[in-house]
Amino acid sequence: MPSLGPIEIEVIRNALTAAAAEMDATVWRTSRSTIVRELLDYSTAVFDADGNNLAQSARIPSHLNSMSHLLRELLERHVDPARWGPEDVVVTNDPYCGGQHLPDIVAFKPVFHDGERLAFVGTLCHHIDVGGLAAGSYAAKAIEIFQEGLRIPPVKLIEDGRRNEGVWAMILQNVRKPDLLAGDLQSQIASLEVGAAALRRLAGRYGAAEMVEAGARILDMSEAAMRSAISRMPDGTYEFEDFLDDDGVDLGEPIRLHVALTVAGDAIAVDLSGCSPQARGPVNATLASSNAAVMFAVMCACDEPFAPNAGCYRPIRTVAPEGTVVNARHPAPVAHRIAATHRLLNAMFGALHQAVPDRIPAAYYGNSYVCTFQTVAEDGRRDVLVEIEIGGSGGHPAKDGVNAFASGMHNNSNIPVEMIESQTPLTITRYGLLPDSAGAGRHRGGLGLVREWRVDSPECFFTANMDRFVHAPYGLAGGLPAAVGRLVLVRDGQESGLPSKADNVPLRKGDRVRLETSGGGGFGDPAMRAAEAVERDLALGYVTRGR
Amino acid sequence: MNKSRLVRVSVDVGGTFTDLQVFDSRAGAVRAWKTPTTADDPSRGLMAGVAEAAERFGFALADVGLLLHGTTIATNAVLERRLPRGALLTTAGFEDVLEITRHVRRELYQLDPDPFPVLVPRDLRFGVPERMRADGTAELPLDEAAVPALVQRLGEARVEAVAVCLLHAYANPAHERRLKALIAEAMPDVPVSLSSEVSPELREYERSSTTVLNALLMPVVRAYLDRLRSRLGEGGFDPAVFLVQSNGGVCGPAVAAEQPARLLLSGPSGGTLAAARIAGLLGRPNLVAVDMGGTSFDVSVVQDGRVSVVTQGEVDRLPVRLPMVEMRTIGSGGGSVASVDSGGRLTVGPRSAGAHPGPVAYGRGGAEPTVTDANLVLNRLDPEYFLGGAMRLDIEAARQAVAARVGDALGLPVERAAQGILTVTNAALGAAVRLSLFEKGLDPRDFALLSFGGAGGLHATEVAAEMGIGEVVFPREPGTLSAYGILFGDIARDFARSRVLPAEHGSVAEITALLGELRAAAEAALESDGVEAAPRRFEAAADMRYRGQAFELLVPWDGAPCTGEAGLEALVARFHAVHKKRFSYSEPDGAVEIVTLRVKAVGLLPKPDDAPPAPAARPALKGHRRVFDGEGWRDLPIWDRDALAPVDSIEGPAIVEEPFATHFIGAGWTARLGAAGALVARRG
Repeated sequence: MPSLGPIEIEVIRNALTAAAAEMDATVWRTSRSTIVRELLDYSTAVFDADGNNLAQSARIPSHLNSMSHLLRELLERHVDPARWGPEDVVVTNDPYCGGQHLPDIVAFKPVFHDGERLAFVGTLCHHIDVGGLAAGSYAAKAIEIFQEGLRIPPVKLIEDGRRNEGVWAMILQNVRKPDLLAGDLQSQIASLEVGAAALRRLAGRYGAAEMVEAGARILDMSEAAMRSAISRMPDGTYEFEDFLDDDGVDLGEPIRLHVALTVAGDAIAVDLSGCSPQARGPVNATLASSNAAVMFAVMCACDEPFAPNAGCYRPIRTVAPEGTVVNARHPAPVAHRIAATHRLLNAMFGALHQAVPDRIPAAYYGNSYVCTFQTVAEDGRRDVLVEIEIGGSGGHPAKDGVNAFASGMHNNSNIPVEMIESQTPLTITRYGLLPDSAGAGRHRGGLGLVREWRVDSPECFFTANMDRFVHAPYGLAGGLPAAVGRLVLVRDGQESGLPSKADNVPLRKGDRVRLETSGGGGFGDPAMRAAEAVERDLALGYVTRGR
Repeated sequence: MNKSRLVRVSVDVGGTFTDLQVFDSRAGAVRAWKTPTTADDPSRGLMAGVAEAAERFGFALADVGLLLHGTTIATNAVLERRLPRGALLTTAGFEDVLEITRHVRRELYQLDPDPFPVLVPRDLRFGVPERMRADGTAELPLDEAAVPALVQRLGEARVEAVAVCLLHAYANPAHERRLKALIAEAMPDVPVSLSSEVSPELREYERSSTTVLNALLMPVVRAYLDRLRSRLGEGGFDPAVFLVQSNGGVCGPAVAAEQPARLLLSGPSGGTLAAARIAGLLGRPNLVAVDMGGTSFDVSVVQDGRVSVVTQGEVDRLPVRLPMVEMRTIGSGGGSVASVDSGGRLTVGPRSAGAHPGPVAYGRGGAEPTVTDANLVLNRLDPEYFLGGAMRLDIEAARQAVAARVGDALGLPVERAAQGILTVTNAALGAAVRLSLFEKGLDPRDFALLSFGGAGGLHATEVAAEMGIGEVVFPREPGTLSAYGILFGDIARDFARSRVLPAEHGSVAEITALLGELRAAAEAALESDGVEAAPRRFEAAADMRYRGQAFELLVPWDGAPCTGEAGLEALVARFHAVHKKRFSYSEPDGAVEIVTLRVKAVGLLPKPDDAPPAPAARPALKGHRRVFDGEGWRDLPIWDRDALAPVDSIEGPAIVEEPFATHFIGAGWTARLGAAGALVARRG
């Protein structure tokens, strides 16, 4: 058994991170759809032979801390590891095999050295459409997963280096934009080979046994850093709850996300038993999704530098009974699972605020404002635009929140107005910060924003998956909540409200849809806010006089 | 320009030193000079340096025909926020695009994020009623009746510069131009920057950011050029002046005053120009150039003799959508701090002790061990000969810091701890080089490594070995290489226009027309830079993608005629090939789009042929020193760079010293003098 010093371990750790970065560069450069390329909705990672995440590219929290969970599920239940060869790529998007929701297709490939499995590489991409009720596969009214799109069980899309053409054709036949899906999936597969080649090079350079040992030690070091940070938190049980407005099906019935977080020594237990039962509509999360939120919250709260990997998860135990909104049972719909994870993260931060009050900000906007426009031109040509918008971050104990800042479980870029208008029969008529949308406080929240689309095609179908139209992002330590968001349809000069979750709303030429997003909650008593800061907010128009 | 004059001078103004290179055609040699930078007005140090060099090298100020000037005046003004009060005019309803940014966050786990910098605050951003569409037609005409009130508000706000960025102005600049005319009428002294003039490319945030930077820099750069001009004429000093741009070329003062954003990120241009020249002199068309200084490690690539250029960069998280030398920067330098976290993990950088307090060994109050301290502990650096002996280093303090903060924490003796710092550093540098080549689908084994910057030489052979690179080039004067590169610069002007077009025969007429406009603009630009008779070269390129892709590849026409159906077909074929090379796949049947067309005009300035100086008349082998070479302490030979002759052969492990740099030649490497006085090390 080799014994590596700290120097060799750091060198190998950096090399693994570089491999994830090379994979990341490959996906970014080669993918086809705007959702991957401009929204940056993908992640890449390197795993040890047992499926533990060793290194990752810094992209999307909801992805990164779930891929390890999925890979271990595959190895335990769905794919015989003994028959998973070096030239086999397994893909799946199935939430009930350890995944999250159907648009996220994950691809894994093992890396062999001298006939032994040494590691895995994996990529996750949010694909623009995988079929189902609504374009973009975000069916807001689905009541079972079968309506949400094509479900790909764990399957060898590439076997012995050859593509399984039957599976490939089956996938492309069931999606709205087969050329884009094919391009993005190919770029995922190309990126796997890039990562595998990098790992084989490392094994040749440092030795396979050394790589394995380094992997184990890398996980131990991150675990130690996390435990050291947790042990500085005061022992105790901290509870907090927050709510989703509804599930889009049973309207007006809020869904509770309750957290009982217990710090004991250098470990944290998170009990989610107080969460609502699983919903009929698609806001449910599988355990992979919920765990990602729990891990991410604790990792953010730690005041100790750590290398993010599966070692960070070890001090944290999650209890989530099956059949709840945070551990849904088949065949519950899960397309909008990000809603439950955003709100779970809000609740986690609320609990952690009680343990480390100087580190945790008030609530961020707490949802992905996802909407889809499917335009139909005169000649029948269809185009799909998927937009993911954001709001403001929460006021922090030491500073104001940031206006329009991608926060929490997602981390998306926006799509340039000029890009959309060059490609799709839509016009953006307004894009700006939304005054008065943040919570007041000694440190106010960041502002949300307003974006308005106009339909230029004869026909268009609009789908929305949003939240926080009723339950506002909370303030902390006396800070006020932020404003709630809303969707407005403007037709023939008349404004009417749209629900936060809507499927295939028919629109016609000239219709406008306006989205107003929440800011972040405020932190601390607004009366304590410095007079200059108040003056500046007024001068810049972040806050108007009436408020 | 007066070609009859015999002397050309290049000046690179850095943070601490102003580097000069002087070519006197009578002597046939390039000579270097260094003088302290005068931060309050860099033109003062520049003049002092030229005067000192004139006295030292024996030329008259009136003999200087050409002054090529690299300056960080624009970059520093942005980094230090010494910028005037500016306004931004946008299409009404889009005033906040500048503040919303592209809003992806960089630090995933940070709960107290800082906003992206916004250089024009919300109360100085004004919407204008107008609307262009993507195809260049006006949906809503410019409401000129609204302009007087707007101008009045600009006046009340006492703005000193105005940026204008209207939606789709790259497709039709008419509204922007009309606005500029109306503002100029009312406020003739306030400079106005139009996005359609600065960066006429699709993507409104990036274009706004670039235009705002340009507007705010106009007063800054104009004031500097005025000060510089006022110094010209002293003592008969009246050369033609050119400034270094980020695209690897130079431009005249008139262009710099109108488009100062082109000076941003010009820092790397000099080094890569030098790399391209050395690539030619050594007959090595593929070089990866690494510049390691106190705080950062910059990687650029010369492929087939040409510097790799990209269409966008950034300064302080602000995008700059203008062509620039492609550079990957990581926070690894001589000043990078080594530390051990509570999990027992050794990290080096990106935190840096910089020049103040600097490494522990500088004795200026630094307490945390740095890469330079590690080199010193291992005796790779001579504490008596740092900066040619100008600065004494405290080796004992460095040892104590490395032992206390790294060695004890890891349970390692001090040499092993110092060696560990270097090993971790070299691996990180190697990964950065690998990624720079990887992104372009290039194989490190086809490249030689060019090492420069004050700290590069100590790491180069080990980084090369890390990558499978078998040849390392150490150019002369590695600390002033940038000025050397500037000395051989050409005038380069870039023109671009975005227009999303299918790359099909039906688009040929429009492509030809757009290229014609760009070419005419480029010709006119060279005229205005005073390149009447100088040889010229024009290069056309297009940003292209498969339909549905959201990011474009820069595809050069490269010699093929760029008109007609045949020209378009050649371009499309090249796109498929470049895509395959860079991304490992192509789709020959896929629909291809052109997003942006580009023309670069190069006005070739005469190139002097320089001869390397004769070796100093003293023994090249200075002696031996106990150095820790990774395995143990050994007596290594110490060579004097300035006394090396072509017959000398340096077998690694060995140390090569010169006044402003020290090089470590690793075991298994052999170094000899090559063309242009460069030291070339080969492995095996």
